[in-house]
Amino acid sequence: MKYAFFIGCLVPARELSYEFAARKILPTLDVELVDMHGANCCAPFGIQSLDYISWLALATRNLCIAEEMGLDILALCSDCYESLLMTNTILKENSDIKGQVNEVLSEIGKEFKGEIEIKHMIDVLYEDVGPEKIKNAVVTPLTDLKVATQPGCHLVRPKMLHFGSVGGYDELDELVRATGAEVIDYDGKEICCGGPIRDTFDKYSRSLINQKIKAMKKANVDCAVTICPFCFLQLDLGQREIQTRFKEELNLPIFHFPELLSIALGFKLTDPQIRDHRISINHILEKYNGYEVSS
Amino acid sequence: MSKSEDTESRTHDSSHDTKLMHIVAHTPRGKGILDCIQCGRCTSSCPMARQTSRYNPRRLMEMITIGLKEEVLSNTPWYCLSCFTCVDKCPQGADVGEVIFAIRNIAAREGHIPPGIKAQGGNIIDTGKISNPTKSILKQRQEMGLPEIEPSDTEELLKILRKTGFDKIIGHK
Repeated sequence: MKYAFFIGCLVPARELSYEFAARKILPTLDVELVDMHGANCCAPFGIQSLDYISWLALATRNLCIAEEMGLDILALCSDCYESLLMTNTILKENSDIKGQVNEVLSEIGKEFKGEIEIKHMIDVLYEDVGPEKIKNAVVTPLTDLKVATQPGCHLVRPKMLHFGSVGGYDELDELVRATGAEVIDYDGKEICCGGPIRDTFDKYSRSLINQKIKAMKKANVDCAVTICPFCFLQLDLGQREIQTRFKEELNLPIFHFPELLSIALGFKLTDPQIRDHRISINHILEKYNGYEVSS
Repeated sequence: MSKSEDTESRTHDSSHDTKLMHIVAHTPRGKGILDCIQCGRCTSSCPMARQTSRYNPRRLMEMITIGLKEEVLSNTPWYCLSCFTCVDKCPQGADVGEVIFAIRNIAAREGHIPPGIKAQGGNIIDTGKISNPTKSILKQRQEMGLPEIEPSDTEELLKILRKTGFDKIIGHK
């Protein structure tokens, strides 16, 4: 299994622990990641709001790079995943739009052919690797760890787009269970983290975070798991903002799924990884021997 | 006067733009507007509508059909989270969350762009990316043994974005 690794903008600029854990874990599960040279922004929803053909042209330039590599794309970010998946689907299904986009791309000598597929890391972990293989690879089972999962929006909706792709709640939950942890349901699991309006309407964005964290805490979980850098930013940094602003102690640790998987597979998290977390994860790392003391 | 009464009273206002619905329907992602039956399942399932009465997707769809252009192109469509819950719930396939993008595209061409979104557009032209690492992040990447971040080919991107007129839409110089 070999994929063109679409890393996006936010992960390498702000969430190094997510990238680090993914680069470490996936190859040990026989998923080879090949970095994409010269890729640009996926053109997520903000850019899509400005102009349709500009969005498709920016996203398609990335698809062309993967086509030249002869590899399907693996994305870590759900926004990247959905933007590239939508673009790939639209261009494959609509020859008129494909023609318009290819005309724009002819300016730089690129052409969309429609030869690849787009996968989220979760699709690859579920379909290619599978929960059984993960279960067998676990050396430190996360027994008694109660986890709330935050699948986010763009891995699962709209339904039409994700037909044929894995990307459901059940798959993420099953992968978390493969680590030995217990998945606990909570109210509003399907609801958005508030990330898309973080800059435009911060008050409502915070309110969405607050409701989600409270619902998770009400369900008595030890931590929550995300698979999207925006969800992580909201639930971790956003939670910290709420604590500071409203003098409210929430303290719910948030993990990127590959971090949790790292611990279960016997890799310890390093200092720089731990520093990526605004809400302390230390007590969980101690319990599962997941902390590497720096030399 | 409640907001819904206000919308109704405006149906008799001479300032409405009767072409708006068909303009939206002919804008990419906007054709769902013709299928809306005003049942309100979008609003009842919308997480943003639960946060504030200022956002009501059913009413936004209604305002498009009535032709209340000014309200439609104001800041209202920017409340949408693009979570696509409404798209999955709509019994008519009216794809409200998609129509939002058609309205935003029209609004952008008329100069209604929130500053944060405009900044994203500017970042793409200047660097090819929306988020860029700080110097301390670059150092941290090195310490962690993560590969260097390659700069995007901004010359190529500018060629694309000039061709589509993106630079003009966001007023980039």
